[in-house]
Amino acid sequence: MYNRIKRNAGIAVLFSLLFSFGAGAQSATSMRINEVLVINEDNFVDDYGKRSGWIELFNNSAGTVNISGCFLTNDKNDPAKYPIPKGDVLTKIPPGQHILFWADGQPSRGTFHLNFTLDPTKENYIALYDVDRKTLIDEITIPPTQKTDVSYGRVIDGEAEWAQFTKVTPSTNNLTLDSNEKIDNLKLNDSIGVGMTITAMAVVFTGLILLYLVFKQVGKSAVAASLRRARKASGGTDAGVETGEISGEVLVAIGMALYELDQDVHDYENTVLTIQKVKRTYSPWSSKIYGLRELPRK
Amino acid sequence: MHEGFLTFLGENLQLFLTYTGFYNVTPGHLAMIVVGLCFIFLAVRYEFEPMLLIPIGFGMLIGNIPFKDAGLQVGIYEEGSVLNILYQGVTQGWYPPLIFLGIGAMTDFSALIANPKLLLVGAAAQFGIFGAYIIALQMGFEPNQAGAIGIIGGADGPTAIFLSSKLAPNLMGAIAVSAYSYMALVPIIQPPFMRWLTTSKERVIRMKPPRVVSSTEKIIFPIIGLLLTCFLVPSGLPLLGMLFFGNLLKESGVTRRLAETARGPLIDTITILLGITVGASTQATQFITVNSLKIFALGALSFVIATCAGILFVKFFNLFLKEGNKINPLIGNSGVSAVPDSARISQHVGLQYDPTNYLLMHAMGPNVAGVIGSAVAAGILLGFLS
Repeated sequence: MYNRIKRNAGIAVLFSLLFSFGAGAQSATSMRINEVLVINEDNFVDDYGKRSGWIELFNNSAGTVNISGCFLTNDKNDPAKYPIPKGDVLTKIPPGQHILFWADGQPSRGTFHLNFTLDPTKENYIALYDVDRKTLIDEITIPPTQKTDVSYGRVIDGEAEWAQFTKVTPSTNNLTLDSNEKIDNLKLNDSIGVGMTITAMAVVFTGLILLYLVFKQVGKSAVAASLRRARKASGGTDAGVETGEISGEVLVAIGMALYELDQDVHDYENTVLTIQKVKRTYSPWSSKIYGLRELPRK
Repeated sequence: MHEGFLTFLGENLQLFLTYTGFYNVTPGHLAMIVVGLCFIFLAVRYEFEPMLLIPIGFGMLIGNIPFKDAGLQVGIYEEGSVLNILYQGVTQGWYPPLIFLGIGAMTDFSALIANPKLLLVGAAAQFGIFGAYIIALQMGFEPNQAGAIGIIGGADGPTAIFLSSKLAPNLMGAIAVSAYSYMALVPIIQPPFMRWLTTSKERVIRMKPPRVVSSTEKIIFPIIGLLLTCFLVPSGLPLLGMLFFGNLLKESGVTRRLAETARGPLIDTITILLGITVGASTQATQFITVNSLKIFALGALSFVIATCAGILFVKFFNLFLKEGNKINPLIGNSGVSAVPDSARISQHVGLQYDPTNYLLMHAMGPNVAGVIGSAVAAGILLGFLS
């Protein structure tokens, strides 16, 4: 009884761990501050036609994340400076997508307008906090002396390295490729395809050779174990011990028998349909009187 | 009034006529309908892969009924149409892994486990994929397109669809039809090369009967198989993961109902949907191009290369094997993953030269190794070319 409870508790813990990992993958903790523009003079304009600094967030997970209730701040002592409003459908960020907040100090203009601005004269601290106001999701300190209309962002979305971008990328990925690097490389260095063939065949062979080596050993162990069992059963002598091999004739005979059983188990039946009245003995279970369609008596 | 009504009727009928197939038909539609009818004929008359050729052939008829492009949402390429919704399983690549689940649940890897060196024959036959890749590059295809075309040589329809949907979606229809057509034509393509590349002495080599494989080995195989192959080629995970998972359902002995569903109703349902939509995707307006013809030629070539590579590898391998352990080169063709057709061909051709030499169980080894090998090869191509 005790063991059973212990085992069930173990399973429950395992499941709760699994589910907590699953839930974590789609929580706001996978959001990242991805790109920031401090001085906006001739750059992106908001829906009001105004220019101001902006902060881009990036969903670095494979699931949709709802950031409503989280907090954005530029003050280390006030983590809950700007609460991201709840109930706005646009706060649900699809996987691998971005959202832009305007640092214009005008929160009355909508969900994505912050109640603080970015100061071009000094370094700017920006942080994103979870709904509990305590869990720091991401933070960045933008160095002072930012250039006009040049943003500061992660070189690759969600990754650690930051750089300045003269080609700003608000609401989209920071690194864009003009071509497929792998394909270009193959075209340049392996136009015939021999290199690819050698590499790929080597990998295919490696994979299957590994399987071969493993199962060669597994087979040896299995045969040895089977011999041991057979010896034990025959009282420790080799008499009557089989090596586990069956002759081809026996296998074919078995195969043929199975095939015939499978194919010819039914005779062809004629297609004449005969309807015979079946005599039924009375039973209250089959009686119409007690059928469900009968209306209940009042 | 009366005359006006008649004019109205005449105009209506004329308008209706422009909507009919007779009005919109082109030689391309008729050509594809003939191809579809040929597929159905081959399946019914000669029983060439009927499970594939009947749905694909009939799908070709469905896909090539000409209609006016008037936003009626009937064509497979019209977003939101019923056929288009069913086709998502092909374009998004989720039918093939489900097919692999069923294949895993119906495949017995015993022959391979009993004689694991046959795995190498399955690996060698994958040269068909890369041989075709090289030729496709020379014919002017982009590397990603060449990779998608080359996979036809794996003789594995679901793998071909999966890879082409990722690497070259615009060529997927031609690649899928080519792969399935040549799989059905394996009994015609392979035997001449099997005879040509082997000597009369080699054709009668008797192989050692396989040993009995324990249930523990059968349970270990999908687990180790998954871990080894997917650690090496993670991009093959959708196919290999489902293949080995299906096999574990079968071999574990405790999930019989799941295994029966996977190898029965599930694979049948997906095969029907896959076949009919792949067939319908051959809509003449999209399908009949010079590239499609090139793909058909390359597909045939890749099957030939794969067959020859398997046979020649066995001959080479025999140089290192002791007398009594040698492999009959007639099972080399089975390295392609057309299960179990190519293994049946090994048996059939083998019996022609020695009526008491049964090669089927030996040929099943490289045959199922070919399934693993082609999925690994697809993973490599996906990794390098996506």
